[in-house]
Amino acid sequence: MDSPGIISFRRKVRGPKFALALPSIIWYGLFFVVPIAFIVVYSFGTKDGSKLIPVDLGHLSGANYANVFDETFFKVFKSTLRISAIATIACLLIGLPVAYLAAFKVAEKWKAIILALVVVPSFTSFLIRTVAWRIPLAPNGFFSQWLVDMGWIGTQGIQVLETPMAVQVAIVYNYLGFMILPLFVALDRIDVRMREASKDLGAGRIATFFGVTLPLAGPGIIAGVLLTFIPMCGDYVTATILGGAKGNMIGSMIASQFSGAQNWPLGSAMAVLMIGAVLLSMVVGAALVWLVMWIVKHPSPMTIRVKHAWHVRSVARMRAGKNSVLSFDFLPILLKAWTALVLVFLFIPIGLVVAHSFNGGSSFTIWSGQPGTKWWDELFAGSVMWSVIARFVVFVVVGIVTRIALGRTTSISKRILNWTGPVAFLLAFVVNGMMTGWYESIFDFASIGDAIRNSFIAAFGATILAVFLGGFAGVALARRPGVWTKVFMASVFLILVTPEIMDAIALATWFPRVADFPIIGYPFKNGWGPFNGGMNKLWVGQSLYASAVVTLIVRARLAGLDESLEEAAADLGATPARAFRQITLPLISSALVAGGLLSFTLCLDNAVISTLISEAGSTTFPVALIGATRSTIKPFWGVGAVMLFCVTLGALWFVTVVLRRSGSSSSEIAATLAGS
Amino acid sequence: MTQELRILAPDSFREKLNRRAFIKAGTATAGMAVVLMACGSSDSAPDTTEAAGGDGAKLASGDWSRVINKSSGTLAMYTWGDYDDPELVGALAESNLDVKMKVDYFGSNEDLITKLSAGGGKSSGFDIVVPTGPYIVQMVEKGLIQKFDKSLIPNMVNVDPAFLGQAWDKNNEYSVCKNWGCTGFFYDTTKIKKELNTWQDFLEACMGEASGQCSLIDAAPNFAGAYFWANGIDWNTEDKASLDAAEKFLVDELAPHIKAFDSYPSTKLAEGAYSLSQAWNGDARQAYFRIKDAGGTPENWRWVLGGPDTELFMDTFCIAAGAPNAEAAHAWINWILIPENSIQDLEYHGYHTGMKDMEKLITELAPDLVKGEIIFFSAEEVKTMHTQVLNTSIDRLVDILNKAKSKAGA
Repeated sequence: MDSPGIISFRRKVRGPKFALALPSIIWYGLFFVVPIAFIVVYSFGTKDGSKLIPVDLGHLSGANYANVFDETFFKVFKSTLRISAIATIACLLIGLPVAYLAAFKVAEKWKAIILALVVVPSFTSFLIRTVAWRIPLAPNGFFSQWLVDMGWIGTQGIQVLETPMAVQVAIVYNYLGFMILPLFVALDRIDVRMREASKDLGAGRIATFFGVTLPLAGPGIIAGVLLTFIPMCGDYVTATILGGAKGNMIGSMIASQFSGAQNWPLGSAMAVLMIGAVLLSMVVGAALVWLVMWIVKHPSPMTIRVKHAWHVRSVARMRAGKNSVLSFDFLPILLKAWTALVLVFLFIPIGLVVAHSFNGGSSFTIWSGQPGTKWWDELFAGSVMWSVIARFVVFVVVGIVTRIALGRTTSISKRILNWTGPVAFLLAFVVNGMMTGWYESIFDFASIGDAIRNSFIAAFGATILAVFLGGFAGVALARRPGVWTKVFMASVFLILVTPEIMDAIALATWFPRVADFPIIGYPFKNGWGPFNGGMNKLWVGQSLYASAVVTLIVRARLAGLDESLEEAAADLGATPARAFRQITLPLISSALVAGGLLSFTLCLDNAVISTLISEAGSTTFPVALIGATRSTIKPFWGVGAVMLFCVTLGALWFVTVVLRRSGSSSSEIAATLAGS
Repeated sequence: MTQELRILAPDSFREKLNRRAFIKAGTATAGMAVVLMACGSSDSAPDTTEAAGGDGAKLASGDWSRVINKSSGTLAMYTWGDYDDPELVGALAESNLDVKMKVDYFGSNEDLITKLSAGGGKSSGFDIVVPTGPYIVQMVEKGLIQKFDKSLIPNMVNVDPAFLGQAWDKNNEYSVCKNWGCTGFFYDTTKIKKELNTWQDFLEACMGEASGQCSLIDAAPNFAGAYFWANGIDWNTEDKASLDAAEKFLVDELAPHIKAFDSYPSTKLAEGAYSLSQAWNGDARQAYFRIKDAGGTPENWRWVLGGPDTELFMDTFCIAAGAPNAEAAHAWINWILIPENSIQDLEYHGYHTGMKDMEKLITELAPDLVKGEIIFFSAEEVKTMHTQVLNTSIDRLVDILNKAKSKAGA
């Protein structure tokens, strides 16, 4: 119902359609489009090793592109696509039953627990989890030896490491969570009545699944496929750590041109072609899906006959009084068993990381047979550890006791009561730190303590940026669509699909130029407050991908809701700012929090970009670790990863408590997490 | 510059030892002593802090310069992973020099150069960087490292002249030897029955008994080097015909047999991933300890210095251009050249640190050092080792390595 008043009101407040997305547009322009454009220009230059930036732009030509088109590139690219495609399908097949169980077959409480268990493994360092897969897969490892002893495999032991198989397993592992969440959300939103109606109409379980449930879950499947397939194509860390010569991926080839051969022009030509090829393969994939859907929707005589036959059979079976082949319903049990297996799979590397942090030997992956705490002692500088832990326990216990004691008196409002736990935890952390000075001294080995702290500061800052940028851009995209939307979405897509090493080189060469700009260059040159220039660069670098993700999540969140609430507010006399604050913001708040969480974990794991743009004094944990993965990884890194894990879990727990106070249900949180 | 300059007599050296004893005592009071001692005695690998720390008690005899220049502030170092004794880039340096150390790691010389030059020649915040010799020429050309103030590094006299004045830096104006090593290979004698001695043997075994179970170093010059050394060709050749022949052999014949390109195979050897690996000597030496750790039998494995020719690499300490704390960088480099510190570092990483009178130093300071034959080489052996020259062939070599990688993966 458009009254003239509303129309004129809208015209008054709108301004340019993309106004809300302006921060993002400037941000992406300054830190993505322009620097990447430089790198794309480099792809037409020639290598000149004597220059600081080893590119000669004197005679531009397309020779690099011609050079890329050789057998080598295509072979590696083909195997990358194969590994990614198989892994995406595997994630879908493995994840679907889990998501299905969580969405339809368990109580609300269990939904939350299953989802939490799926998410939690991704809070351990991505690198260390990948390295940890070497432990059970090693031919001389305990698992392999056990299989040999049982006589199940030959005396050679497991021959999986340094093969594409190892990469395949680990890549499925690393991205499974990104598939399960969107699937769950899509399934969870399906109205149960639709499924019941399908059954009432005589459809069997299988027909209902394929005819009703799966098509309705379509958007979730697409989101899951995008969130897994795209990053897989650019991933090279997994292949580098586990793949050996046979599991080479395109990402490492591009990286080796940039840093190994110092051949930036060729590397950048490769990256440009790779982006094109990934986009193309996605278009092909989408076309295939569309074709299948079209066939289903526009039935040929053949499909009608098949469907009819199926229906007749189901109805006949129902009349005969046996709803399913088996009289006892095995499905929930099978689903539960499968989910349990998947969760065990997800937690295997984490268990190994914790166990091997107590390795008495000198290498992380090799269990020396002698457990010991020496690597923990190094982290905690010996004696400080126990006094810190003791104090921590005292604070937490005091918090719990206070809570129980207060719980008996009814005069305290429930709201305050609920905060006792988190506050005690926070106090234990802050006060304990101040008393022992362990912020400075506790992590005092090979800069790893600094690395953990830097990781948090960097991820935290980048997350705030991402939430700010992505929040406004998401609202603008959902509420102010126009021609600009397509351009903007294209750049968001490009950010997701550009190989990290290219971003890294682009930003690393761009920052020194930016540093000379008036005003905006200042933070990168001098830093501000306690944060040096390197930290400012990390915030920018990590915020790009993260803000793209937040943008998508917020947009998806608002897409299903129309603007009637804001219009009502405007009718009641609210200013646009007030309508935004009191209506729009609460609508997207859980999307912001969930998007922030996802950003935080992504930033915490960021290795490639951070490695090139960090400075001494702003080294993060993955940057420190990726340097070490080239040589021997000491069990010490396991200790660092466990610490990082604990602190992240603590932060996550805190956020969850806050979220629950603000009233979101577990599936709502998960829904926003997954971007639907 | 107001740094305090003093010559360390044995007295002040005892001060340092006392401090270390104090640290250990402090640990003991916390009830950690049992654990530490257990680790110290059970771990024969010299790459642990405890094992290395025990030898500092002795002072080498003879004429050595032991100048320590105190400094202040933070000292940031950018080096290879697991390449320095944690005490020497941590607590000990901090107490001796009054600086706070921060260490970051890179994975290859190219990574180091990319990182420093991507910053457009502006300071990346690092003070000390550790490139391999041949890369110094390029780094000087690009202005990535700065000249030493040699008056601040008087302990350079402790370095054996044989390891000074290398081709890349004739007067040691920019660099001083950190340590040097060479390339050889390491194999499982229970899996490969034939005795291997030369690169020719190595390549044949890769394509024979060890097919699908061998690894080569993931650096283009070393990978191609195996072919050049085996065939008596200068590994720095720029001759197109030689490079073509190398490509033909390495890509078409050798690559399908390769399991992995791996610069540090020691851990994976212990995991059982390879039965034959091209390796740098220090890493091969680590492999013995790792294999023992993993419950294997190190006696079954054999290290061979590749013949008839092989590589000599030298990693060096340099000071980054625009280093925020160049004074501390000088102080630290000077300090690490004190023989006791240098030998402590040697015990950690297992590479020759280039000190004078090495034999005497080892007998006096580290008599328990095991597998010394993989650290120290005879004069005849050293004569067969050649340093790399960075020339026009590097692009071709990287291309060959990339092609071999894709062929191996096919």
